[in-house]
Amino acid sequence: MSRTPTIDWTRCDGHGLCAQLLPGTTLDEWSFPVLPPDGTVTEQDARAAVLACPALALRLERAQNKAS
Amino acid sequence: MTTLDPRPAPTTTARLLAGAHPGGAVGLAEHRDLHGAPAPLDRAALEALCRETGLRGRGGAGFPVATKLAATPGGRRTHVVVNGSESEPASHKDRTLMRHAPHLVLDGVAVVARALGTDRTSLVVHDPAAAHAIRAALAERSDLSLRVELTPASFVAGEARSVTSTLSGGAAVPGGRRVLPSESGVDGRPTFLSNAETFAAIGLHACRGRVPSDGAEDGTTLATLWGDVDRVGVLEIVHGTPLDDLTARPGRPVLVGGYHGTWVRSDGLTVDRDALRAAGATWGAGVVAVLPEATCPLGEVARVAHWLAQQSARQCGPCTFGLPAIAADLDALVQGDVTAAERLTRRTATVRGRGACAHPDGATRFVDTALAVLHDDLALHRHGGCGRPVLGVLPVPHPEEGHR
Repeated sequence: MSRTPTIDWTRCDGHGLCAQLLPGTTLDEWSFPVLPPDGTVTEQDARAAVLACPALALRLERAQNKAS
Repeated sequence: MTTLDPRPAPTTTARLLAGAHPGGAVGLAEHRDLHGAPAPLDRAALEALCRETGLRGRGGAGFPVATKLAATPGGRRTHVVVNGSESEPASHKDRTLMRHAPHLVLDGVAVVARALGTDRTSLVVHDPAAAHAIRAALAERSDLSLRVELTPASFVAGEARSVTSTLSGGAAVPGGRRVLPSESGVDGRPTFLSNAETFAAIGLHACRGRVPSDGAEDGTTLATLWGDVDRVGVLEIVHGTPLDDLTARPGRPVLVGGYHGTWVRSDGLTVDRDALRAAGATWGAGVVAVLPEATCPLGEVARVAHWLAQQSARQCGPCTFGLPAIAADLDALVQGDVTAAERLTRRTATVRGRGACAHPDGATRFVDTALAVLHDDLALHRHGGCGRPVLGVLPVPHPEEGHR
């Protein structure tokens, strides 16, 4: 089961390390990350970015249903 | 600002608001005369009833109730929560329902709690008069020990996971993980949470018995009407009613759903949650607003956008910074700044989907669909403005009411 990087927006402070470690990640005009589409990053790259996030805001999660 | 008649509109099709009189609530004896008593349904029978009546959640998302029930484990640890917070400022239907027909809501709670095999039930509400009516109704019956909790007025406090957080003793904001209440709700336990009108509809269906349905949602629903309509206030309408029947001015731009809703042209649209979704709209919290000719539509949208920006819980960066920037772009558009349109489109796309709850998604949906539908007014503003004042037809709470 592949896992995908997910941002906990309540924790993200826009430090920006993920944008340097995770290929395809950009920062918006307020310096918050815009992740690449699901399935386009390797789990190895994603894990490195997750470990580097100073706010513990980046997590690896299984693709989940978004129903409320 | 438009004033709203707090009494439900008189209508011949009233079911949810049957017997409602201007003075106050339908008492228990009168309620039983009107509706009888709800059938004692087990879990399978309740799921079947909800499926066969096509019942959708009446809070905003319109999720099928039978599916939500099926996903909620039963048992004594399970919580049943009525979300009566109605944090959508243009919606008054839930408080009207609780003020006038509290026993129907309570019947729904009793039915769901019995079917799920629990007696842990709660109701969250912001409107004091609705809370009073619910408590008075509880005093008339002995089948429920319902916890009634007053909640803050902020928009985000009414979000399902804010409600379960409040009831668990936490802050009235959604958590960072998108976990469904059915998996982990109040105190981390499985929770069946739905809107007050959903419970009333369950109560009604359980009292009336199974009504054959062709897949479309059976019965009636409550709407709050604003602006150029026959009567500003809450109206009970039959599913399938054309939107044009609700507005005094067919063909004008209509806001459907509320401030997380969509602007549409009403032509051909009906009050049908699935059909509206297929048309890119949402019935949401049942708000229908038609702007009169006398007000500046773009100015009305900007005014609401500022309120939406204030209502951010300020937990998530894109929402905290993006929504005020979007509101400022709308101000610039009103002033005729042609460069703002491109910036606005880019910013709504940037903010959408990037938060712990649906507030940024709903707020940007409101703005994006307004820009799409109000293109004539946009053209006027590009050439010096429409010359109309902003009347405040769309209600926005005072800041002191709207903040936590």
